[in-house]
Parts: sequence; structure tokens; C-alpha cells
Amino acid sequence: MTEIIVVTSGKGGVGKTTTSASMACGLARRGKRVAVIDFDIGLRNLDLIMGCERRVVYDFVNVINGDCTLKQALIKDKRLETLHVLAASQTRDKDALTEDGVRRVLDELIADAFDYIICDSPAGIEKGAHLAMYFADRAVVVVNPEISSVRDSDRILGLLASKTHRSANGNGGVKEHLLLTRYNPRRVANGEMLSVEDVKEILGLDVIGVVPESPDVLAASNAGVPVILSDTSDAAAAYQDAVARLLGEELPLRFLDEPKRGFFARMFGG
Amino acid sequence: MTTQRAEAAPGPAIDIRFGQVGLIQVLIWTTDPGAILDELTGRVATAPKFFQRTAVSLDLGPLGREPSVQEMQGVLDAVRRAGMCPVGLASGAAVAQGLSEPLDLPLLPPFREFHPPAEAGARARRETPRPQPQPEDGTLAQLHPHPVRSGQRVYARGRDLVVTAMVGAGAELIADGCVHVYGALRGRAVAGARGETGARVFCQDFHAELVSIAGVFRVFETLPPELAGKPVQAWLDGDALRFERLGA
Ligand SMILES: Nc1ncnc2c1ncn2[C@@H]1O[C@H](COP(=O)(O)OP(=O)(O)O)[C@@H](O)[C@H]1O
Ligand SMILES: [Mg+2]
Repeated sequence: MTEIIVVTSGKGGVGKTTTSASMACGLARRGKRVAVIDFDIGLRNLDLIMGCERRVVYDFVNVINGDCTLKQALIKDKRLETLHVLAASQTRDKDALTEDGVRRVLDELIADAFDYIICDSPAGIEKGAHLAMYFADRAVVVVNPEISSVRDSDRILGLLASKTHRSANGNGGVKEHLLLTRYNPRRVANGEMLSVEDVKEILGLDVIGVVPESPDVLAASNAGVPVILSDTSDAAAAYQDAVARLLGEELPLRFLDEPKRGFFARMFGG
Repeated sequence: MTTQRAEAAPGPAIDIRFGQVGLIQVLIWTTDPGAILDELTGRVATAPKFFQRTAVSLDLGPLGREPSVQEMQGVLDAVRRAGMCPVGLASGAAVAQGLSEPLDLPLLPPFREFHPPAEAGARARRETPRPQPQPEDGTLAQLHPHPVRSGQRVYARGRDLVVTAMVGAGAELIADGCVHVYGALRGRAVAGARGETGARVFCQDFHAELVSIAGVFRVFETLPPELAGKPVQAWLDGDALRFERLGA
């Protein structure tokens, strides 16, 4: 059984691509066969974070247009054998993605017995975002602990409940999860950011992970290594936990409090 | 699965549908553009997102006389400068009939009629009884057991609306009868949408952006802050919207 998971948010720059890359790696590390697809046509990004940008020959739109086979376009990850990337196209033609084309690609991945298909959604609520979520079985809604991001996520949750293949066909709807990223416990304590509890209450959903704001994320994306693979990082541990919860394990949330700092750090730190 | 219309047999160039849209009424008490602009900019500033580029219908009933075309051009200019978009004249006001053509604005059926007061200029209370909205299929309430999210709108025609989940900021509940929310209400609640002044809004956890009953509304900046997070009911007392903590 293949499960299609969309990583979405409404707002841009909240961490969807970072999350898609890390979740895909985390699932592959546990031996699952995973394909991760970049739906952000024109703003291709996932291949950079996955560190395979120089190996992109064919992309998602090429497959849809029949310029190549899906096999030719899927890039095998160098680190994890069961992980595959389908890059977005650089075309400026936003209509290059069609519902029928997306369905054909997903059907072929399902026939090829992939365990998970991760769809990295573009920002907004336009066509690209709509197609990324349309065939999903589950959704990971990425949200930053701030009002505007929460509002956009609420909007996306409304679309997930009404404008997807599952909702249209009465298949019990898309299973929804919240993932908080760029969580900064100090700013939460100062009241500058919403807490996990606030976000849970406003959106009325459970949280599958809380990823702390961390400089490791940028360093990892510059190096083309998804942050979940940087083993000493809190962000990596948080993503590993999120993957475990996605697979049904029950784990308490971590990294909700400010890290304890030593005496000198407190004396001299900001 | 939807087929793309463009790929199917050529269809008609347009479709005409009968649709109901809630429209904000601006009741005009004076044709002095300065006074209108002052008051409108104040109100628009309290709820910029709600009023900016909002379509409005002008109700000339309160004037009690037919203004000149020139006067009306001043009024329209003031309303536009405040950020609203006048799209028509309320047809309930007899005084608007002759202005529709020269101003190039259609006459629109009223959302909430204004009956000219006995003495011109006096802000008299409206007392005409209103027909009770009738449930259309025998059910008294429309049940919505799912969250209503930002950007979504649920309308209960001719009856109450009962929502047993949360209502997000930017979501909109509209009922011709009462609105009941067994959960947090962060969006807008519009009860008595067809003018039923006895309609009420009830909710368990009050954080509404806007509450409206029979066309009388208040936006969150002017909603009682001490009621935030409390179980609350709202009702219309004459022309004033009242709020009260439930079970207190
Ligand atoms: N947990 C985090 N800590 C710090 N920076 C982050 C974190 N998650 C994402 N970022 C940064 O935020 C930016 C946007 O992330 P990205 O995943 O591209 O978002 P999206 O795909 O939603 O537009 C990137 O610069 C990324 O490095
Ligand atoms: Mg992205």
C-alpha cells in the first residue's frame, strides 16, 4: 500500500521543503521506499536541499509531457538506496502541471510499490498547491508559531477538507497532522511567538512534531544534506521523532523549553 | 473526477446563476461629503480588512428626501475615498428611484429595509414585524459537525446553524435563524441574515471577529474584551447589539 503525503502550509518560507526532505530521508532510513516530488514549478528547490541538483536531467513536467519515462527522471539518492527524488521543472508555464498528468505519475509510483510518496507543495492556494494536495492520503501542515502562518494553515486545512480527491469521493478525508517548525522557546516565553498549546488550540489538531529554530538547518541546506541526517542537531532529533510519530509510535514532544545554559553562558550570553 | 471543460465539447460562453450575496448597507443621514468621510474613515480604520474594497449599497431612506445628482456625486466620492465600493442603491428607499439612471447605479433589493421615521431626521426605531423565516425541509437546524476554517463559509437558509467544532478566524457562519457554536468562535457569525431581529448568536468560547444580527453588526475591535474566551450570547435590543456571558 502506497501512502501519499502532502507537505503543505499556505504561507511560503515556513519550512515545507526542509520538512519534505527530512521526512523523506527519515522514512527511507527506516527501510521504506520513498519518492519525494517537488511541486514548486519554476522555483525548484528540493533538489538543492537533497544535494542532487547537478544530477537533474529530466523533471516532473518532462515526465508529464512524455519527454522521458518516470524511471529516467527519478533521481536515486546517493546516501539512501530506497530514496528517490523527482525534481520540479524550471519552466515558467504554471499550467504545465495538470490533474491528469499528476495522477498518471502517482499511479505509476503506486504500481511500482513505493511505500511513501511525499509531495512538497508550493506556497499559496493556487494550482500547484491544489495539485500537490489533491491526491493525498495524509497531510503534514507545516506551521510557524505566528499568527499569519497559523491563519494560512487554517485556510489550507479548509481546502484539505473540501478540495481533495478523498473529500470529493467520501473516502474519509485526508488525515491531517500539524508540524511546528522554527520553534523558538525563548521567544515563546517572551510572548513574541505562539506556544505549541496555542497553535494546537487555534487549529484544533494534534502535533506530529516540533522542530526548533536552529542554525543547523541552513548549514545543512547549504551542504545539500537534509538536516535529519546531521545527527548531533536538535532539529534532526525533532524530525526523527516526527517520522516515528508518522509511523504510529508515541513519543513525548521534545525541545519545547529553552536549553539549559551554563553559568558562564548566562553571564556573558545575550 | 472532473474533466476540464476546455477539453470537452464547447459550452456556452457564460452561465447566469441566481446567487445571494450579503451586502453591507451604508445608511445615508446627510449628503455632506466631509461628515460622511470623517465617519467612514473612522469606521473603516477600526476594521480595515473588513471594509477595504467592500461592495456596499447606499440606503438613502434616512435622508427623507431625494437628493440632487450633484449632491449624490459628492456622497459617492466620499464613500469611495473611504475605501468602499458603492455598487448600488437600496431600492427600498422611494427617494432613490430617480437617481439610478443618472448615477449609473442599479437599484438593489434591501437586505434590511429602512422605514422612514415619522419625523424626518429622527432616528426612530423600526417596528414593522418581519415574516418568520420558514425551514425549507422541515428540519429546524442545520448541523455542521466539522471545523469551519479560514476562508470557508457555511450558510443555513431559513433556519438555525449549529456548529459542533471550532470556527477559525476568517471563517464565516451565516444563518437566517440563530447561530450556535459549540466550540471556539474566532470567525464571523451572521444571524438573522434575512432580517430576523429575534435571531441570536451563541458560542462556547467567544473570540469572534464580527457578530451581526439582522444587519446590525460589531467588529472585534468594538466587541467587549472581557467576554473573550467566555461562553457568550448576542442579541438585538432595538438597534443595539447586546452581549452577555452565558450561565453567569
Ligand atoms: N527549523 C529551522 N530553523 C532555522 N531555519 C529554518 C528552519 N526550517 C526552515 N528554515 C529556513 O527557512 C527557510 C525556508 O525554508 P523552506 O523549507 O525552503 O520553506 P518553504 O518550502 O516552506 O518555502 C530556509 O532558509 C530554511 O533554511
Ligand atoms: Mg519550498
